[in-house]
Amino acid sequence: MNSEKILQYIRQHCNADDWALYISYWDSHETRFAQNGITQHIAGPKLDITLNVSYGTKSGSATVNQDDENTLAFMLKTAQDIAAHAPEDPEFMPSAEKADLPEVNNCDPETKNLEPIQMVDIVQKAIDKAKAFGASVSGMTEKHYHNSWMFTKNGFAGNSERTNFGHSMTIKKAEVETKVDYEAKNFGGFDLDRDFAQLQAQAEALADLHVFEPQKIAVIMRPSALLELMWFMGWMMNRRQSDEGFTPFTDQLGKPFFGDKFSWFSTLKQPGLLARPYDYEGIPSKEIAWVENGMIKNMPTNRYWAKKVNGTPCSSYNIFIPGGNASEEEMMQMVPRGLILNRLWYIRTVDAKSGELTGMTRDGVLYFENGKVKHAVNNLRFNEIPHDATRRILALGASRLASASSMLPTMLIDNFNFVDKTSF
Amino acid sequence: MKYLDLAMNAANSLGAEYADIRIQKTTDQVIYLQNLSLKHTNTEVLYGYGIRVFKDGAWGFAHSNVFSDEAVLATVQKAFEIAQLSASVNKNKKLRLAPERSYIATVKTPIQIDPFEVPLNEKIDLMMEVNRTIMAYEGIRQAVFYLILHKDEKLFGSTLGTRLDLTSLFIDPMIIATAVHEGDSQSRTFDEGGRAIGWEWILELDLIDKAKQIAQEALIKVKADTLGPEERRSLILDPNHLGLTMHESVGHPTELDRVLGWEADYAGISFATPEKLKNYRYGSEIINFVGDNTLPQGLATHGFDDDGVPGQKWHIIKDGILNEYGSTRDTAMEIGLGYSRGCNRATYYFDQPINRIPNLYLLPGTKPLTPGELIADTEDGVYIQGRGSFSIDQHRVNFQFGGDFFWEIKNGKLHRPLKKVLYKSCNPEFWNSCDAICDERFWRPFGVVNCGKGQPPQSARMTHGSAPARFRNIRVGGSQ
Repeated sequence: MNSEKILQYIRQHCNADDWALYISYWDSHETRFAQNGITQHIAGPKLDITLNVSYGTKSGSATVNQDDENTLAFMLKTAQDIAAHAPEDPEFMPSAEKADLPEVNNCDPETKNLEPIQMVDIVQKAIDKAKAFGASVSGMTEKHYHNSWMFTKNGFAGNSERTNFGHSMTIKKAEVETKVDYEAKNFGGFDLDRDFAQLQAQAEALADLHVFEPQKIAVIMRPSALLELMWFMGWMMNRRQSDEGFTPFTDQLGKPFFGDKFSWFSTLKQPGLLARPYDYEGIPSKEIAWVENGMIKNMPTNRYWAKKVNGTPCSSYNIFIPGGNASEEEMMQMVPRGLILNRLWYIRTVDAKSGELTGMTRDGVLYFENGKVKHAVNNLRFNEIPHDATRRILALGASRLASASSMLPTMLIDNFNFVDKTSF
Repeated sequence: MKYLDLAMNAANSLGAEYADIRIQKTTDQVIYLQNLSLKHTNTEVLYGYGIRVFKDGAWGFAHSNVFSDEAVLATVQKAFEIAQLSASVNKNKKLRLAPERSYIATVKTPIQIDPFEVPLNEKIDLMMEVNRTIMAYEGIRQAVFYLILHKDEKLFGSTLGTRLDLTSLFIDPMIIATAVHEGDSQSRTFDEGGRAIGWEWILELDLIDKAKQIAQEALIKVKADTLGPEERRSLILDPNHLGLTMHESVGHPTELDRVLGWEADYAGISFATPEKLKNYRYGSEIINFVGDNTLPQGLATHGFDDDGVPGQKWHIIKDGILNEYGSTRDTAMEIGLGYSRGCNRATYYFDQPINRIPNLYLLPGTKPLTPGELIADTEDGVYIQGRGSFSIDQHRVNFQFGGDFFWEIKNGKLHRPLKKVLYKSCNPEFWNSCDAICDERFWRPFGVVNCGKGQPPQSARMTHGSAPARFRNIRVGGSQ
């Protein structure tokens, strides 16, 4: 695949008033294991080439996955035909112009060059450890190399190269199930012994399970649980959707809407955190506060809406929630009783306007009282409004990497609203 | 067919116990119109092949988008080497494949009007008219029309000698009207979930009429009352709503790979474990769920699955008892089934196929019963139409569902419209609480085109169906 050759073809043959070209190349290796054996094992490259074209304010696009001239000609003709038949778009925006892009470092050569035999060795060792622990393990070991380019007729030229390594493990021993996972742009930070020791400790803590009824109660929400809530809150916090009255954030820009212990940024300054240099519209990534000490400072805004409301286009490219210095032990001392949540699962929007979500706990819930963990409890369902929950934050732990693109703290949140329980 | 033979001969030469190649071209046309602005109009063609090699009780899968003898042979070699690596781990846990014969067949989704041949301006004109119809209602703030046309063309060959030429296609129109009133915002959606049929379906649907209906109902909904505290009530669920409920609480728990724990790390496992087969009361005696990958217009009706196993029809729940699973050649052997039900499907050429929900539907009631008679026979309850919020635990036991449109039922009549209604239940309580299902005149199919599962994630499609049904004594209430 030669991105320059594809670009030259479009430059020479596209007769549209405007165009934007996107090229994405992946090379991945994915080893999936379950119940102590490999069930899937996948390898291969992928290519995506997308061309958006416009005549006046009429636009169309086409995507192909091969870069020979016949296929590129097909893509060009298809996109141009669509645009020719499209109606005038009252919200049309010309393609991005030349922009200064931040320097990022998302690509790790060691991860890119990881061999399949190394990955299978990790799986074998994980299974051996699980067997020694008298358990079964399921998970996935994966590495990805991704290189993408964006070019426009108006002069934008961007390239983004990144790697990603992930290893997840769900262990099952008797009735106990729990999970740890590692996902980062570099393989070097991965330590199977460390992760399995954590998995084993989690499993041992969950062995004594008691029935627990749903109620409002304080929770210590670990980063892997918080991350699931943040995805949904991020999707809701869209400037246009809010301005048009569809989200809880309507008319709240510039106002203290979240709890004052809560801040939320996208940042280029955390070296471990994946940060793409630009988004699909060509908006360069920059330091941005979405929420600072509870006040909504910015909301993701596309170029059209920014122009309409005289704002600045911006988009979220990673999640950084600054933390504090409270340990879980200290958090347990701050409230009479509560639950420790490892992970949340199957979160869905209950009411988009109020921001209410539902979901379940997963992979282990611990009950604590008088500063000490007493026992594990069954999984619970919550119906909760996350921005409202931030007003009940009592303490924050240190931020740590929860995924390649998120760095979050453990949070102590009061009166988290559990409404149902399940049988395990 | 040249590459099928080349790849299978190469796999045999390398010593594969079994191998297959799936050459797949997927064409998607997506049009997204919002408030008369075309946000996205794209045609995507993804073309390549995936090769599976089974060796010493383990799989290797490699894919490529390069069509040449050298590339095909290199991809076979890669799949073989990966299978060998997998086998080195599976020494004491070898997979086995259920016996299967060879087939030579050509199967195409029957259509009258090829939707890809309908001129784009005709599609956009219709969509604009639907958008305008919705926007004409005062109080409506947003009108969305999202149209997907999807076609898979596959050539499949296996070392069993199977050679298949399969073309499947579906259309999925979705229309949303969103109203804003006194600080609240509520949407109403027309969404049949897709159907394997030609453009003739769109012409039959009368989408302008549907647009008027959802705009009017969005305005009713945004001004409607909420239900108040949760209480045990009767529920009457329409087929569109039930399609999602059965997908989550019956379809996924009876996928055999989940039952075996193969999805433990991500999508979850299942409470419906093998010792419950033929004896576990999953639902009341009127509950009969059928897996049917021969269903006309069904989204999982492809002729054959990606194991080369033909589409079949079987009872998953029979007279309320767990009867059988949806299975694949490798999962079936884990419980000694000896045959696959043909549920192995991949999304794109670069995806390794996994155990999927078949077309799965609830058989209608056997006694004459209309929805009107069912409502008239209900003292206190809620009638739910359409799909809303849905969430279920990773064992597929506890769940909470919303809906798209709600009516309170009082003394056998639709009393008042409601919004923000939720119900909570669990398996096996929910399906055992079903005491009435309308008859076959009211049975309707509904599709799911975005069933997410697997690592790496894949999106599959299947059709569900039912007639309106009543569930007694369910926890129903309003959201916060």
